[in-house]
Amino acid sequence: MKYFLSLCTTGVIMGVIYALMALGLTLIFSILRVINFAHGEFYMLGGYASYFILSTFTGLHPLLAVPLAGLIAALIGLAFEIAFLRPMHQGRIERPDEYAILITFGLSFFLMNLALAVFGPYPHRPPSFFQGAVRLGFVNVSADRLTASILSLALLTLLLLIINKTWIGIALQAVSQNKDAAAVVGINPLRMNTLAFGLGVGLAATAGALLAPSFLIVPDVGAVPSIRSYVIIVLGGMGSIQGSILGGLLIGLVESLGAGYFPDPSRALNYKTAFGLVIFALVLLFRPRGFFGRKEV
Amino acid sequence: MTTYAKSTGRRFWFRPQWAAALVALVIALLVPLYLQIHSPYWLHVLIVAYFYAILASSWSLLAGYAGQFSFGHMAFMAIGAYTTGLIGRLVRLTTAPTGMCAEIPLPGRDLWLVFINTVGDNCLELGKVNMPAGTLIYRPPILSGIILGALIAGLAGLAIGALVLRFKAAYLALFTIAFSEILRTLIRGEPQITRGDHGLRVAPLFPQTISRVPDYYTMLAILVASLLFMYWLASSRVGLFLRAIREDEEAAAARGVDVVRYKVLTFVITSMLAGLAGAFFAHYITILSPNIIVLPQMGLVIAMAIIGGVESLAAAAIGGMIIQISLELLREFEAWRLVIFGALLILTLRFARNGLLAPLLQRLSGTVPRAESREEASQAELGEEVGA
Repeated sequence: MKYFLSLCTTGVIMGVIYALMALGLTLIFSILRVINFAHGEFYMLGGYASYFILSTFTGLHPLLAVPLAGLIAALIGLAFEIAFLRPMHQGRIERPDEYAILITFGLSFFLMNLALAVFGPYPHRPPSFFQGAVRLGFVNVSADRLTASILSLALLTLLLLIINKTWIGIALQAVSQNKDAAAVVGINPLRMNTLAFGLGVGLAATAGALLAPSFLIVPDVGAVPSIRSYVIIVLGGMGSIQGSILGGLLIGLVESLGAGYFPDPSRALNYKTAFGLVIFALVLLFRPRGFFGRKEV
Repeated sequence: MTTYAKSTGRRFWFRPQWAAALVALVIALLVPLYLQIHSPYWLHVLIVAYFYAILASSWSLLAGYAGQFSFGHMAFMAIGAYTTGLIGRLVRLTTAPTGMCAEIPLPGRDLWLVFINTVGDNCLELGKVNMPAGTLIYRPPILSGIILGALIAGLAGLAIGALVLRFKAAYLALFTIAFSEILRTLIRGEPQITRGDHGLRVAPLFPQTISRVPDYYTMLAILVASLLFMYWLASSRVGLFLRAIREDEEAAAARGVDVVRYKVLTFVITSMLAGLAGAFFAHYITILSPNIIVLPQMGLVIAMAIIGGVESLAAAAIGGMIIQISLELLREFEAWRLVIFGALLILTLRFARNGLLAPLLQRLSGTVPRAESREEASQAELGEEVGA
C-alpha cells in the first residue's frame, strides 16, 4: 500500500507537468485545427534557452529563466505561425490538412538539427532550482521536480482562469467553436490563431525549462515528451482542455504505476513510453474520440 | 485526368521520360566500371543513395498518391533489417535435433529449425554433445531472411493500417511517430536479443568478395524493380482509386471506392518495400544499431521526397539520390548540412508544393504542367506580395 501510494504521488507530480505540455498542444489544435508535430522541439528549445540564459547571466536565479525561456519560444512560434501557418488559414494553400502535418514536421526536423549544429550532441544541464529532496508522505521527491510540478499547477490554474474569465480567453473559445461566427462578432480569427500558437509552444517550452534541471537536454530530448503529449490529447479528446489535463494526470499515473509494478525492474524504464502506445491503440479501438472529444474523428 | 490517360497511352516506350530513364539506367549500369578502380568509396555513396531513393519513393507513393503521412517509414525499414539480422543470429538449421533448444523438425527432410536462446548458456553449444558426429549446422539462407523481413514489415503495416487508417490522416502520423520511437526504445532496451547499442552483426550478402560491385548491382536492381512495380501500381485501377481518395475521400467513398481497404493496401505495400530495402541494407552495412530509426533519419527521407516532388515517384527517388550525394559532398559543413536541408524542406513545402525536381522533370519530358499547379504557383507569388 505504501509502495502504491508513493508511486501515485510521483505519478501525479509528473502528470501535472505532462498536462501543461499537452495543454499547449490542445490549445493549438482547438484553435488552428493543426497538430503541432514540432511540439517536442519547442520543449527542447525551452531547455536550451534556460541553459543559455543561465550561463550568460550567471547571477540570475534559475527560476527566473523559466518564463524567459517560454517567452523566447513563444516569439519563435509567433513568427513561424505568421510566416507558414497563416497563409493556410487565408486559403492560399492547397490541401491544407496535408500541409499542416508536413510543415510542422519540417519545423521539427529543422529545429532538432539546428540544436545539434549549435549545441552539439552532448547533454547540457542548467543549474538546479533548489538543492536536495522533500519528503512527501512515503516518498522523497527531488526539490527540482516538486518545484516544476507546483509551478505547472499554478500555470494551469492561471490559464484556466484566462480562458474562462477574460475577454481574450472567451474570444479564443469562440474561434474554437465557430470561426465564422467569431469573425461576425468582431474577433479576428487570424490573430487568435497566432496568439494560440505562440501560447501553445510557449507552454511546451516552459515545461522544457521546468524539467531541464531534472533531465538532461540533448537535441532529441523532445521526442518522448511530444509523443506522450500526442497520447494525452488522443486520450483526452482532441481539442478538449479538461481532457488534456485529465489525460496528463492519467498518463503520469500509468507510467509511474506501470514502471513500478513491471516484473523486471531493470527494464521497466524502457517500457515506460511503450505504455503510451498501448493506450493510444486502446483508445482508437474502443473510443476514438477520447474522453471529451467532439464527434468528428 | 488527362495526365493519367497520357501516361498509359499506347506508345509507352517512345515517351521521352522512358527514354531518359533508359539512358539513366545504362549510365547507372556502367558507373561501377569506372568507380571500382578510381573511387570505391563513391560506389558506397551510390549504394546508400539508392537505398534512400527506395525509401523516399515508396514514402511518396503513400504520401503523394494516397495522401497518407507515415512517420514510421524508417521503423518498417528497421523491422526488415532486424528481422533478417536476428534470424542470422538466433536461427540455425541442423541435421540432428539438439535436445536442448526450442526446435521444429522440417517436414520431408532430415532438418531441424533450431532457435538459439538469448538468456543463459548457448543451448546449441550445450546440445552438441547430444548430436551424432558429422551433424551439420547451417545458417538459414540470407534470402529467406530478407523475404521474411519484408513480410514481417508488411504484417506490422497491416496491423497498424487496419487500426489507424479508418481515421483522419493526422492519426496515422501521430501513431507512426509513436510507434517508431517506441520500437527504437525496445530494440535498445532488449540488448540480450538485439544487442542494443552494441550493434547487431549481420552476415554480408557477398562474403566471397570485398568488392562493392555486387552489392551495387543488387541495390540498383531492387531500386529499379520497386520503381517499376510502383509505377505499374500507380497507373492501375488502384492508383486511380488512390488519387480519388486523396482528392476527396468522401466523394470517392460515395462512388463505391472502399477507401480504408485501398489505404491499408498501399500502406502495407510501402511498408514491405521499406522492409525489403532495410533487410538488404542490413546485409550490406553488416551492423545494425537502434539509431537507424531516430526521427532525424525519418525527417531526412521526407525532405528527400518533398524536395524532389512527392507526387512523382521518379522525382522523389532522384531527390533521395541528389540529397544523399550532396550530404557527402558537403561533409565539411557537418551538422549544418541537415539544417540547410531542413530549411529547404520548409521553404519547398511553402512555395513549391510540387517539389523542386518534379516540375523540372515535367518540362524536360515535355509534359505540360497541370493547370491547377500553375494556378497554385501564381497564387504563391501573389501570396508573397500580400504576405510581405
